[in-house]
Amino acid sequence: MPVCRSRQYLAFALASLATCQGTAYGAATAASLSGPAAPFRTPYLPSNDAETLQDVPSALDPAVSEMRALRAQLDAAPRSFPAAISLADTYVAYGRQVGDAHYAGYAEAVIASWMAAAQPPTRVLVTQATILQYRHQFGAARALLQQALRKDRGYAQAWLTLATLDMVQGDYPSAGKECAQVTAAAGVELGLVCSANLRSYTGQARQSLVLLHQAEAAGENAPVNYQAWVQDLMSEDAERLGDWPLAEAHYLQALRLLPHDNFLMVAYADFLLDRARQKEVMTLLAGHEQSDTAFLRLALAQSALHSEQVGRYTWIMAARFQALALRGSDFFGREQARFALELQHDPQAALDLARRNWQVQREPWDTRLLLEAALAAQQPQAANDALAFLQRNKLEDVIIEPLARELRTKLTAADGAAP
Amino acid sequence: MDDGHRGGTFVVHGQWDIALRDLDFVLTLDDDGDGRLTWGEVRRHQADIERYAYAYLGFTANSGTRCAIRPARQMIDDHADGAYVALFFDVVCTQAPVRLRLDYNLFFAIDPSHRGIFVMNNGASVATAVLSPQNAAIDLAL
Repeated sequence: MPVCRSRQYLAFALASLATCQGTAYGAATAASLSGPAAPFRTPYLPSNDAETLQDVPSALDPAVSEMRALRAQLDAAPRSFPAAISLADTYVAYGRQVGDAHYAGYAEAVIASWMAAAQPPTRVLVTQATILQYRHQFGAARALLQQALRKDRGYAQAWLTLATLDMVQGDYPSAGKECAQVTAAAGVELGLVCSANLRSYTGQARQSLVLLHQAEAAGENAPVNYQAWVQDLMSEDAERLGDWPLAEAHYLQALRLLPHDNFLMVAYADFLLDRARQKEVMTLLAGHEQSDTAFLRLALAQSALHSEQVGRYTWIMAARFQALALRGSDFFGREQARFALELQHDPQAALDLARRNWQVQREPWDTRLLLEAALAAQQPQAANDALAFLQRNKLEDVIIEPLARELRTKLTAADGAAP
Repeated sequence: MDDGHRGGTFVVHGQWDIALRDLDFVLTLDDDGDGRLTWGEVRRHQADIERYAYAYLGFTANSGTRCAIRPARQMIDDHADGAYVALFFDVVCTQAPVRLRLDYNLFFAIDPSHRGIFVMNNGASVATAVLSPQNAAIDLAL
């Protein structure tokens, strides 16, 4: 029988996009991909059975075995709500810890049937909101949290998540009210940390540190996640105040509590990059290339060291962003702006990305990137809103303040030069 | 399209790359649990991978007849976010279709944020599409 061999060729890169912080900002990176070819082999057959192809979660990791045990419990009783919500929360926590957004998707699937109910349980609403917040779908996350709070005004976790969301988006008056609700619902310890977090953004970093010291003393027997959170907030306060040794001590303490936590490692890596300690970044993040946020810091370290690996890292980072853009989710604006600014050396693209990111995300790093990009692109007026935001909220930050001063000087000079 | 398909079967070649991390999540390929997935471990699970993956992929010719998927070989393909298994296969239809419908459901039940990136290389032109739970089928004009 004659066989027609057609020219059609189907290829699926069935994207695991492990890192998966999708984004709508693909245009800037797409251009870069038309440049050098992929630094990879074509499909191949490894020659040796012992060759390691891929790092995967190890069964020896207690967090992984716990997840598998919870999965088995759910598989045995697929309609058990306690089994489902425990597994979903464990997936979310693990995904955050390793910087792998797949787990947010796994969690979403586990609770999907409860979310589809006419009246989803409040715990499910909060878990789903946490997943959406992780993906930077802030509006949808807020709506779910408000729905949960309409059903249960005393749900502390929902208030805390909402307060965090408002802090991420720079709505400090709302966050203040929500921290008060956290105190009312969960007691003074958790309310204290919420309020300390808020003060860090509103020109009260010293008071924030005092509150956090109290929380540290009171929380000696608290879960390690809570203790590490307190340590992380203390390092951020110390960084804003320019006390580098104190900041580093708290980062290291946080990492002793939660070794290999992606969020903490990346925050500490940023601290090290700012101090020009790139080699320590490579040591810190070795073996964590799977995380996109960690990978970007490795690429930045390679670039600062003028390593010959920069091209490879930049290509891979761009390819990851492009693949994420195909997913259509909206994450990672901060990382993309920084990538465009520091690795692609494209101030205009960086400014466009930083401005779009700043519309949804206004943590100090987001503001800093917008100011840096406005300066690099020589468009100080692009930072007007951010400068007004800084003035209104009195953010103190020894790295951001000089950038803001420089931009204000340029804006004043431009005003003076105008007819 | 080549000549020769009149009166015979019609074959389209495909390559399907699936992340080893995703496959390890569902099939636990890392037999010794050391967190390092080796070629030996992947090779020993080739039949499992094939059985699992092809259950979630289907092709239907314009007439509504299913076309068969004939697995050819497995290789490894490196992507920006890790190593993938590359499944090579042939889609075999009894008659040359005008349209070929692809149905894709891999991983959607366990991860609704999973996406398949589909690329069709038809000689000079390249078309891409994203497969998602909301958009799990593509009609390919041949």
